Amino acid sequence: MIAADQFLTIAIHGALLVLLISMALVLWRLFRGPSAADRVVAMDLLTVLVLAFVVAFAIYTRETTYLDVAIAYACIAFLGTIALARFLLRAYHRMWCYEQEGKLDE
Amino acid sequence: MSEYIAGILIWVGSGFCFVAALGIVRLPDTLTRMHAATKAGTLGAGLLIIGGAVFFQELLVTLRALTIIALVVLTAPVAAHLIGRASYESGVPLSDRTWIDELEAYENEKRASEQYCQPGEW
Amino acid sequence: MNLFVLNIAFAALFVTLLEGGGLPTFLFGFALGYAVLWLTKPLYPKTRYFQKFPKTINLTLFFLKELAVSNLKVLWDVITPKHINRPGIIGVPLAARSDLEIFLVANLLSLTPGTLSVDLSEDRRTLYVHVMFLEDVEETRRQIKSGLERRVLEVTR
Repeated sequence: MIAADQFLTIAIHGALLVLLISMALVLWRLFRGPSAADRVVAMDLLTVLVLAFVVAFAIYTRETTYLDVAIAYACIAFLGTIALARFLLRAYHRMWCYEQEGKLDE
Repeated sequence: MSEYIAGILIWVGSGFCFVAALGIVRLPDTLTRMHAATKAGTLGAGLLIIGGAVFFQELLVTLRALTIIALVVLTAPVAAHLIGRASYESGVPLSDRTWIDELEAYENEKRASEQYCQPGEW
Repeated sequence: MNLFVLNIAFAALFVTLLEGGGLPTFLFGFALGYAVLWLTKPLYPKTRYFQKFPKTINLTLFFLKELAVSNLKVLWDVITPKHINRPGIIGVPLAARSDLEIFLVANLLSLTPGTLSVDLSEDRRTLYVHVMFLEDVEETRRQIKSGLERRVLEVTR
């Protein structure tokens, strides 16, 4: 049986490492695509991972101030995703309509 | 004792985050990838945040943690819904394991209607 | 709703009077406040707080259970080399009518077992749901309606 402190230290170091690896995987998907929607999904998950990382970092440094950072980040992070998704939605809608009218070549 | 609980919560939470990332890489199409991203990602981040609350054991920190969880749980499905619609409307191919698609008929019907390409619609 | 605010205020007062103490104290104060309000029930003839609160707890517990189960299933599909998913998109007729009800059903659905709300029809009668492990269309539809939607409607109506 390992001591409680030691267990927690191992856990938090492991968590930081695992989160970094996860971010690397998500970045691979972000670069790889293949469609724009895939990239938006990857970016959405990336914001959640960054949020988790900030919280893990707060535990790592034993500093509760970082939790305020996490709150502010959680407030604004999803706006980017929403904006990109709306943009995609409208862009494809418009493109489809132009294609129907044959105006796309102009 | 609380250190063990916090440690286990942190392990499981980061594990779920890893599963979400792995799912994004491994699953076949956009919609199934979103299953991994929204569910496993939200649960992983939530568990990690609860682990933090257990670790600090202060009322203010607990309240902050609950605020973060509420924000994530409220926003994640909204974002997922919008991305899902965007990916479906943009005609991203579904994986060949998909065996039923009842949305297709409705989508075609919507596109055939007069209003769909009216300028006000976008 | 006013009673809920009152209940929260009672719990906050309890924490202040005991000078600190964490979430357990707050929860205990909340439970105590709920008991006191319940004892004085005849004073508030019109409130439906006492019917709705247990239903809300019921919905929350159900939701947490589904969240755990669904994640284990997705986890299994992700970490094993062989894919077991059989995705499909089905339309679910909605009994929910108001904005809040539809919002709750769609969002909670997005967070629970292998389901993801993709689109809502223009007349707001049908919710199109992407299901990751779809075996039987009618069965899944029935599960969504009797499981999640029924519990949401119990809270909002």
